Amino acid sequence: MIAGHFGFAAAVKSRETAAPLWALMLATVWLDVVFVPLFLTHVETIKAVSGPPGAYGGGEIFADYTHSLVGAVALSVLLGLGALVLWGRRSGLVIGAVAFSHWLLDLVVHRADMPILPGDIGRLPRLGLGLWRWPSASAGLELLLVLIGAALYWRAAAKAAHAAGRGPLLPTVAGSLTLAFGVLVLALDLFSAR
Amino acid sequence: MQFILGVFLFVAVLGGVDAFLPWPKPRQSEGVK
Repeated sequence: MIAGHFGFAAAVKSRETAAPLWALMLATVWLDVVFVPLFLTHVETIKAVSGPPGAYGGGEIFADYTHSLVGAVALSVLLGLGALVLWGRRSGLVIGAVAFSHWLLDLVVHRADMPILPGDIGRLPRLGLGLWRWPSASAGLELLLVLIGAALYWRAAAKAAHAAGRGPLLPTVAGSLTLAFGVLVLALDLFSAR
Repeated sequence: MQFILGVFLFVAVLGGVDAFLPWPKPRQSEGVK
Protein backbone atom coordinates (compact mmCIF):
# COMPACT_ATOMS: atom_id res chain seq x y z
CA MET A 1 0.00 0.00 0.00
CA ILE A 2 1.37 3.38 -1.02
CA ALA A 3 -1.40 5.51 -2.51
CA GLY A 4 -3.73 4.78 0.42
CA HIS A 5 -1.17 6.17 2.85
CA PHE A 6 -0.97 9.40 0.84
CA GLY A 7 -4.77 9.64 0.78
CA PHE A 8 -4.80 9.35 4.56
CA ALA A 9 -2.14 12.10 4.84
CA ALA A 10 -4.21 14.43 2.64
CA ALA A 11 -7.24 13.81 4.87
CA VAL A 12 -5.18 14.67 7.97
CA LYS A 13 -3.94 17.89 6.33
CA SER A 14 -7.56 19.00 5.87
CA ARG A 15 -7.93 19.01 9.69
CA GLU A 16 -4.39 19.80 10.83
CA THR A 17 -3.51 22.72 8.62
CA ALA A 18 -0.39 23.81 10.53
CA ALA A 19 1.58 20.74 9.49
CA PRO A 20 3.12 21.01 5.99
CA LEU A 21 1.59 18.59 3.47
CA TRP A 22 4.99 17.31 2.39
CA ALA A 23 5.85 16.47 6.02
CA LEU A 24 2.56 14.59 6.48
CA MET A 25 3.17 12.68 3.25
CA LEU A 26 6.72 11.89 4.31
CA ALA A 27 5.42 10.79 7.71
CA THR A 28 2.82 8.50 6.20
CA VAL A 29 5.50 6.54 4.31
CA TRP A 30 8.26 7.03 6.89
CA LEU A 31 8.48 3.33 7.71
CA ASP A 32 8.92 2.57 4.00
CA VAL A 33 11.55 5.32 3.67
CA VAL A 34 13.64 3.60 6.34
CA PHE A 35 12.80 0.23 4.77
CA VAL A 36 14.41 1.14 1.40
CA PRO A 37 18.08 1.15 2.51
CA LEU A 38 17.52 -1.94 4.64
CA PHE A 39 15.95 -3.67 1.63
CA LEU A 40 18.81 -2.65 -0.65
CA THR A 41 21.29 -4.09 1.85
CA HIS A 42 19.20 -7.28 2.24
CA VAL A 43 18.57 -6.69 5.94
CA GLU A 44 14.84 -6.67 5.15
CA THR A 45 13.47 -8.75 2.29
CA ILE A 46 10.42 -9.46 0.14
CA LYS A 47 9.43 -12.97 -0.91
CA ALA A 48 7.07 -13.27 -3.87
CA VAL A 49 4.15 -15.54 -3.00
CA SER A 50 1.76 -14.83 -5.87
CA GLY A 51 2.26 -13.40 -9.33
CA PRO A 52 5.55 -12.07 -10.75
CA PRO A 53 8.15 -10.47 -8.44
CA GLY A 54 7.05 -6.96 -7.52
CA ALA A 55 3.40 -7.61 -8.36
CA TYR A 56 0.89 -5.57 -6.38
CA GLY A 57 0.32 -7.22 -3.01
CA GLY A 58 2.03 -10.37 -4.18
CA GLY A 59 4.75 -10.61 -1.57
CA GLU A 60 5.46 -11.47 2.00
CA ILE A 61 7.49 -8.55 3.32
CA PHE A 62 10.00 -9.41 5.99
CA ALA A 63 10.56 -5.87 7.21
CA ASP A 64 11.38 -7.17 10.65
CA TYR A 65 12.74 -3.91 12.01
CA THR A 66 10.85 -1.09 10.28
CA HIS A 67 7.46 -2.82 10.26
CA SER A 68 7.61 -4.59 13.61
CA LEU A 69 5.10 -3.13 16.05
CA VAL A 70 7.76 -1.89 18.46
CA GLY A 71 10.03 -0.72 15.63
CA ALA A 72 7.15 1.24 14.07
CA VAL A 73 6.40 2.93 17.40
CA ALA A 74 10.08 3.83 17.85
CA LEU A 75 10.42 5.24 14.31
CA SER A 76 7.18 7.20 14.70
CA VAL A 77 8.33 8.71 17.99
CA LEU A 78 11.64 9.64 16.39
CA LEU A 79 9.96 11.45 13.49
CA GLY A 80 7.43 13.06 15.83
CA LEU A 81 10.25 14.44 17.96
CA GLY A 82 11.89 15.93 14.86
CA ALA A 83 8.59 17.56 13.88
CA LEU A 84 8.12 18.82 17.43
CA VAL A 85 11.45 20.63 17.26
CA LEU A 86 10.60 22.17 13.89
CA TRP A 87 6.90 22.99 14.21
CA GLY A 88 5.83 22.64 17.84
CA ARG A 89 4.07 20.15 20.07
CA ARG A 90 0.83 19.69 18.16
CA SER A 91 2.48 19.11 14.78
CA GLY A 92 4.93 16.76 16.47
CA LEU A 93 2.07 14.68 17.85
CA VAL A 94 0.20 14.74 14.55
CA ILE A 95 3.22 13.74 12.47
CA GLY A 96 4.19 11.00 14.92
CA ALA A 97 0.63 9.64 14.81
CA VAL A 98 0.51 9.81 11.00
CA ALA A 99 3.81 7.90 10.87
CA PHE A 100 2.32 5.16 13.03
CA SER A 101 -0.86 5.11 10.92
CA HIS A 102 1.34 3.44 8.28
CA TRP A 103 1.67 0.36 10.46
CA LEU A 104 -2.08 0.25 11.17
CA LEU A 105 -3.02 0.51 7.48
CA ASP A 106 -0.36 -2.03 6.56
CA LEU A 107 -1.79 -4.37 9.20
CA VAL A 108 -4.98 -4.53 7.12
CA VAL A 109 -3.30 -5.46 3.83
CA HIS A 110 -0.14 -7.39 4.77
CA ARG A 111 -0.17 -11.11 4.97
CA ALA A 112 0.83 -12.25 8.48
CA ASP A 113 4.41 -11.03 8.07
CA MET A 114 4.67 -8.13 10.54
CA PRO A 115 6.47 -9.12 13.75
CA ILE A 116 5.76 -7.60 17.14
CA LEU A 117 9.36 -7.16 18.26
CA PRO A 118 12.25 -5.85 16.10
CA GLY A 119 14.17 -8.65 14.40
CA ASP A 120 11.28 -10.97 15.27
CA ILE A 121 12.85 -11.53 18.69
CA GLY A 122 11.09 -14.32 20.56
CA ARG A 123 9.38 -15.56 17.36
CA LEU A 124 6.03 -14.21 18.53
CA PRO A 125 3.09 -14.55 16.12
CA ARG A 126 3.40 -12.30 13.08
CA LEU A 127 0.53 -9.93 12.36
CA GLY A 128 -1.40 -9.03 9.20
CA LEU A 129 -5.01 -9.40 8.10
CA GLY A 130 -4.01 -10.25 4.53
CA LEU A 131 -6.30 -8.12 2.36
CA TRP A 132 -3.60 -8.34 -0.34
CA ARG A 133 -4.83 -11.88 -1.00
CA TRP A 134 -7.71 -10.11 -2.73
CA PRO A 135 -5.94 -7.43 -4.80
CA SER A 136 -9.18 -5.92 -6.09
CA ALA A 137 -10.40 -5.36 -2.54
CA SER A 138 -7.13 -3.83 -1.32
CA ALA A 139 -6.86 -1.64 -4.43
CA GLY A 140 -10.47 -0.57 -3.86
CA LEU A 141 -9.63 0.37 -0.26
CA GLU A 142 -6.63 2.40 -1.45
CA LEU A 143 -8.72 4.16 -4.09
CA LEU A 144 -11.33 4.99 -1.45
CA LEU A 145 -8.65 6.49 0.81
CA VAL A 146 -7.28 8.53 -2.10
CA LEU A 147 -10.73 9.82 -3.11
CA ILE A 148 -11.78 10.72 0.43
CA GLY A 149 -8.39 12.26 1.28
CA ALA A 150 -8.21 14.34 -1.90
CA ALA A 151 -11.83 15.51 -1.51
CA LEU A 152 -11.32 16.58 2.12
CA TYR A 153 -8.03 18.30 1.27
CA TRP A 154 -9.53 20.08 -1.76
CA ARG A 155 -12.51 21.28 0.27
CA ALA A 156 -10.30 22.54 3.13
CA ALA A 157 -7.96 24.31 0.69
CA ALA A 158 -10.91 26.02 -1.02
CA LYS A 159 -12.29 27.09 2.35
CA ALA A 160 -8.92 28.50 3.45
CA ALA A 161 -8.51 30.42 0.18
CA HIS A 162 -12.05 31.80 0.42
CA ALA A 163 -11.47 32.94 4.02
CA ALA A 164 -8.30 34.73 2.92
CA GLY A 165 -10.12 36.46 0.05
CA ARG A 166 -8.25 34.47 -2.60
CA GLY A 167 -9.68 32.96 -5.75
CA PRO A 168 -10.30 29.26 -6.40
CA LEU A 169 -7.35 28.72 -8.78
CA LEU A 170 -4.69 27.60 -6.30
CA PRO A 171 -6.95 25.27 -4.27
CA THR A 172 -8.22 23.78 -7.51
CA VAL A 173 -4.66 23.15 -8.70
CA ALA A 174 -3.62 21.71 -5.31
CA GLY A 175 -6.74 19.56 -4.96
CA SER A 176 -6.65 18.18 -8.48
CA LEU A 177 -2.90 17.49 -8.21
CA THR A 178 -3.48 15.58 -4.97
CA LEU A 179 -6.22 13.50 -6.60
CA ALA A 180 -4.17 12.86 -9.76
CA PHE A 181 -1.09 12.00 -7.71
CA GLY A 182 -2.96 9.45 -5.61
CA VAL A 183 -4.61 7.79 -8.61
CA LEU A 184 -1.35 7.73 -10.58
CA VAL A 185 0.62 6.21 -7.71
CA LEU A 186 -2.07 3.54 -7.27
CA ALA A 187 -2.07 2.79 -11.02
CA LEU A 188 1.72 2.49 -11.11
CA ASP A 189 1.68 0.30 -8.01
CA LEU A 190 -0.97 -1.92 -9.60
CA PHE A 191 0.42 -2.24 -13.09
CA SER A 192 4.19 -1.93 -12.89
CA ALA A 193 6.63 -4.09 -11.01
CA ARG A 194 9.18 -2.06 -9.07
CA MET B 1 13.57 2.36 -7.39
CA GLN B 2 12.53 4.75 -10.18
CA PHE B 3 8.99 4.40 -8.91
CA ILE B 4 10.07 5.44 -5.40
CA LEU B 5 12.07 8.41 -6.69
CA GLY B 6 9.07 9.44 -8.79
CA VAL B 7 6.83 9.32 -5.75
CA PHE B 8 9.18 11.60 -3.83
CA LEU B 9 9.30 14.03 -6.75
CA PHE B 10 5.49 14.18 -6.71
CA VAL B 11 5.48 14.75 -2.94
CA ALA B 12 7.91 17.65 -3.40
CA VAL B 13 5.71 19.21 -6.10
CA LEU B 14 2.54 18.79 -4.04
CA GLY B 15 4.23 20.16 -0.95
CA GLY B 16 5.44 23.15 -2.94
CA VAL B 17 1.94 23.97 -4.20
CA ASP B 18 0.47 23.43 -0.73
CA ALA B 19 2.97 25.88 0.79
CA PHE B 20 1.40 28.69 -1.24
CA LEU B 21 -2.09 28.07 0.12
CA PRO B 22 -3.25 30.54 2.78
CA TRP B 23 -3.83 27.99 5.53
CA PRO B 24 -5.14 29.53 8.76
CA LYS B 25 -2.56 30.13 11.48
CA PRO B 26 -3.15 27.91 14.52
CA ARG B 27 -3.84 29.49 17.89
CA GLN B 28 -1.06 29.72 20.48
CA SER B 29 -2.96 27.25 22.68
CA GLU B 30 -2.55 24.63 19.95
CA GLY B 31 1.14 24.23 20.67
CA VAL B 32 2.79 26.56 18.22
CA LYS B 33 6.38 27.39 19.00
